[in-house]
Amino acid sequence: MHPAATTEHAGTPALLAEGISKAFISGQQRTQVLDNLSLSLDAGELTLISGPSGCGKSTLLAILSGLQKVDSGHVRALGSELGQLDMRALERFRLQHTGFVFQGFNLFPALSAFEQVELPLNHMGLSRNEARRRAQQSLEEVGLAHRMRLRPSELSGGEKQRVAIARALAKEPELLFADEPTSALDAANGQMIIDILHRIARTHGTTVLCVSHDPRLVVHADRVLAMEDGRILSDRRPPAPTAPDQGIPS
Amino acid sequence: MVALARKTLIYEWRRFLPAMLAVGFAGLLQLLQIALVLGIFGSTSLYITGSSADVWVGYPGTQSVGSGRTIDADVESRILMDPAVLRVEPYIWDDGDWRGPAETGGVSVFVSGIDPSANGLMFSKALPADLRARLAEPDAVVVDRSALDQLGVDIGQTATINGHQVRVVGISSGLRALGGVNVLCSLDTARQLNDDPTDSGPTYLVAKLRNPAQAAAVAVRLRGSTAFGPYTTWSAKDFAKISVRYWLFDTGAGAGVLFLAGIVFLVGAVITSQTLIAAVNGSMREYATLNALGVGVGALRRVVLEQAFWVGALGLLGAGLLGIVLMLLARSQDVPVVLNVPAALGCIILVMGLAAVSGLAAMRSMRRADPATLLR
Ligand SMILES: Nc1ncnc2c1ncn2[C@@H]1O[C@H](COP(=O)(O)OP(=O)(O)OP(=O)(O)O)[C@@H](O)[C@H]1O
Ligand SMILES: [Mg+2]
Repeated sequence: MHPAATTEHAGTPALLAEGISKAFISGQQRTQVLDNLSLSLDAGELTLISGPSGCGKSTLLAILSGLQKVDSGHVRALGSELGQLDMRALERFRLQHTGFVFQGFNLFPALSAFEQVELPLNHMGLSRNEARRRAQQSLEEVGLAHRMRLRPSELSGGEKQRVAIARALAKEPELLFADEPTSALDAANGQMIIDILHRIARTHGTTVLCVSHDPRLVVHADRVLAMEDGRILSDRRPPAPTAPDQGIPS
Repeated sequence: MVALARKTLIYEWRRFLPAMLAVGFAGLLQLLQIALVLGIFGSTSLYITGSSADVWVGYPGTQSVGSGRTIDADVESRILMDPAVLRVEPYIWDDGDWRGPAETGGVSVFVSGIDPSANGLMFSKALPADLRARLAEPDAVVVDRSALDQLGVDIGQTATINGHQVRVVGISSGLRALGGVNVLCSLDTARQLNDDPTDSGPTYLVAKLRNPAQAAAVAVRLRGSTAFGPYTTWSAKDFAKISVRYWLFDTGAGAGVLFLAGIVFLVGAVITSQTLIAAVNGSMREYATLNALGVGVGALRRVVLEQAFWVGALGLLGAGLLGIVLMLLARSQDVPVVLNVPAALGCIILVMGLAAVSGLAAMRSMRRADPATLLR
């Protein structure tokens, strides 16, 4: 059933959600955002979640990455039961295993691109040299070797998002989460970002979970999940990840 | 380690400037206030600190040099009997009414009658030897430079104190008094000026010891006898303390200092914390991103505290530099300003405490850096 595009891991999935539900209560109104949703993601794949606005994509991402708690069900990430970890342990888990790319680039105005990337590494207990080596390497990987000394105010939107990706990538995470990473960018820059994410999944064996409205990205994904009203409607794998940019479903 | 706190402080210095100014002005205000109070009230113990006496003998219950009553002159022989005592001399402190040659009306003066001999103890540190020698002339007085206008005299001129004529033979400096003007003369002149025949003895006896370190013990030992009428003894250090404390607390000045310190702290802390909170809020999404990446809340809070520390340190530096300039200026204008180590430390503690409280307040606002809010 699966095309042999990715290496199948015989063992447990990198990320597993079973029967998760989440509701928000504001005042007397209760919104069921996730409704008994189950999901399993394999390592080394770029999975795209798409769906209408407000259907719970971001909430799902927050729960799978340990930023938010579920009401019921459970999430297993890299063998750890996220629901059983306290705040400290979750922080430690995220520090060791996860990277994030957000819609906003969220870069410190005072720091150069290189320092933005190096900063989280300082907290991982890496040696100074190792942190610098990784920062250098991941900036090179996103094609910013020549702009490492520039501050965010001197970078274009696409470059800023690539710095944000390098910041996540340098941690060498097993799990990489991206929420609408291209929505603030034009087509060409968005294309470049999704290419980079895809390459990261391939070359580093990282599990990349990306939320996006952008139909142009679908062809680059190994797997596309369509969400609506807190459930997954369809789960499919586009025929050829390397296919030319045409016939995009909308 | 990327120095996020410092780099942000430098890059966004405009944002932190109000906090630094608030801290700096709070520090400066406090520094000058303390220096002025110490300078002004320090002058109330000038009689003690400007002299080389180790032990003071005076009327029991005396709270400041200016409020002494006469004691029996025979106490002197009792003091001299103690083997630890090297020298004793009387000191007469008296109020006087000054009429100068210029139209100044009556000026209230504090007459200090001292032993004008070269090895005299009183004002030995404040009065140059030549001026002291000139006091031996009859009716000679020395006045402070800062009071010349007030007294309406200059050197060589005559005036009257309590109706007796005196002649200004010298001008001293650093003998400013609080609530009046110091006039120095010899013991003989001072006795002449006193028109109340009932108090005949000296106001104080001051003694020099062979070993100044024993002052406290000797003072206690000398206290015992009552054969010569009421008197008590203090070590010079204790008496100076009592005198300054009397002025600080019994005049309400001390309460004023503390009150103003409280206000300064409060206003400074409000401005500083608001500025720091605004700075934290401005970087909230970035902090939240770091937290999403696993950087602990504790580490992020340290960044805020470090910023508060630098704001405090830079504010303090500014306050210190400006304070030194202002104090030199004040000194050159004969405004009494004094700063000692405990007072300077007090200022530093106040300013850094202010910065710390503001940092803690800003740290609290860090709780809003919830990375889940980045996912919407
Ligand atoms: N903290 C919250 N409190 C209350 N309601 C919330 C909260 N977070 C999300 N919601 C609600 O949950 C629903 C799903 O939100 P979510 O952000 O997951 O949507 P989304 O699929 O990411 O939408 P979009 O594509 O517009 O980003 C929305 O209706 C939203 O109003
Ligand atoms: Mg969303």
